[in-house]
Amino acid sequence: MRRHTRRVFNLCYRFTGNGAESEDLSQEVFLRIYRTLASYRSAHGGFATWMTSVTRNLLIDHYRRTRRDRMTDSLDDAMPVVENKESSARRPDEQALLGELSGQVQAALTRLSPELREAVILRDLQQLEYTEIQHVLQVPEGTVKSRINRGRIELARILGQMGVRPS
Amino acid sequence: MSWTCEHIESRLSDYVDGLLEPAERQAFAAHVQACAHCAPLVSSVSSLVRGLRKIEQLAEPPRLVYNILDKTLGPRETAAGWRAVLGWLNAIATPRFVYGALSVGATFAILLTAAGFNWRKPQLADLAPASVYRSTNRQAHLVYARGAKFMNDLRVVHEIQSRLRPETDLPAAPESTVPESTPQKQPGVTDGAPATAPRQQNRTNGMYPERTVLATNLAAVGPRRVS
Repeated sequence: MRRHTRRVFNLCYRFTGNGAESEDLSQEVFLRIYRTLASYRSAHGGFATWMTSVTRNLLIDHYRRTRRDRMTDSLDDAMPVVENKESSARRPDEQALLGELSGQVQAALTRLSPELREAVILRDLQQLEYTEIQHVLQVPEGTVKSRINRGRIELARILGQMGVRPS
Repeated sequence: MSWTCEHIESRLSDYVDGLLEPAERQAFAAHVQACAHCAPLVSSVSSLVRGLRKIEQLAEPPRLVYNILDKTLGPRETAAGWRAVLGWLNAIATPRFVYGALSVGATFAILLTAAGFNWRKPQLADLAPASVYRSTNRQAHLVYARGAKFMNDLRVVHEIQSRLRPETDLPAAPESTVPESTPQKQPGVTDGAPATAPRQQNRTNGMYPERTVLATNLAAVGPRRVS
């Protein structure tokens, strides 16, 4: 239970970048899993993959739901450095929890498009196989590979702009 | 076929994940070595992926698991009233604990009884260490004296029985019970009978009875002796 909770919470946190939202979303994920457990078939991949699919669908729903709110904050997107400083000031405990690189990666991830972001998170932070990501995203293997490739290149470019070079 | 920068960019993840064929890998490396544009790109993406793999998962807030359980299985029941007061009994209301408690109680009861505690008229003074010691000492001496008396009585009864027992009941004299030996016979000496005598069970006799018969017949037939 704790292992699954951690996995779901991390996926939510890496996608949203917000601790409180991630907590609420994690609870929603487990509630949905609890209600739809009867629909789970092992043919859809392992339980962890199915759980990741449920989480990802909920994250996309949440992203679409909150898009309008973010549109009003587009000015912040134009000034990422300022946004980072503000977020550090807002959530000092969260920043302390994250390691230095982890925090920098999180800041860079929020600047990726959701499609590329989820692909990179699933592959490099959740360490899923290509076939599992294919199950989760419900797209062909070529598309999965292409998104992961573009996501990595874009993330490396953003981190380079931030002056971060992971070793 | 030599690779272009577009090739390199499109297959970069395959290279990092080790999914390129040996020939492709060779062509990839050859281009990257010579290309000033691709070399930093490949280097930065490779180190990014290595760095991402090293990042550990964040610890979830401690309350999250309980919140999830509350949401899915419902809020936990909180005991109220006398249930809350007696709630701790649930933890010890197991057969194992009850058996253990009963055996400990029985042991104490036996020890107290042995120490001279009067169950019919219980007095606190009986539980004082000095009186417990005195009672235990007295009980131990009593048990020892009773045991010694019992053994003594047993010995007396046995002696009386032995004296009252008639002579006929006594076992026969040892001489009559021992099997009689052969007085004339010395060890290692035979009784002097011929080896061919019928009562001597000789294996040779048994094996060749016809020789004796033949020798007897020949002696009867003629004066010539067969050697």
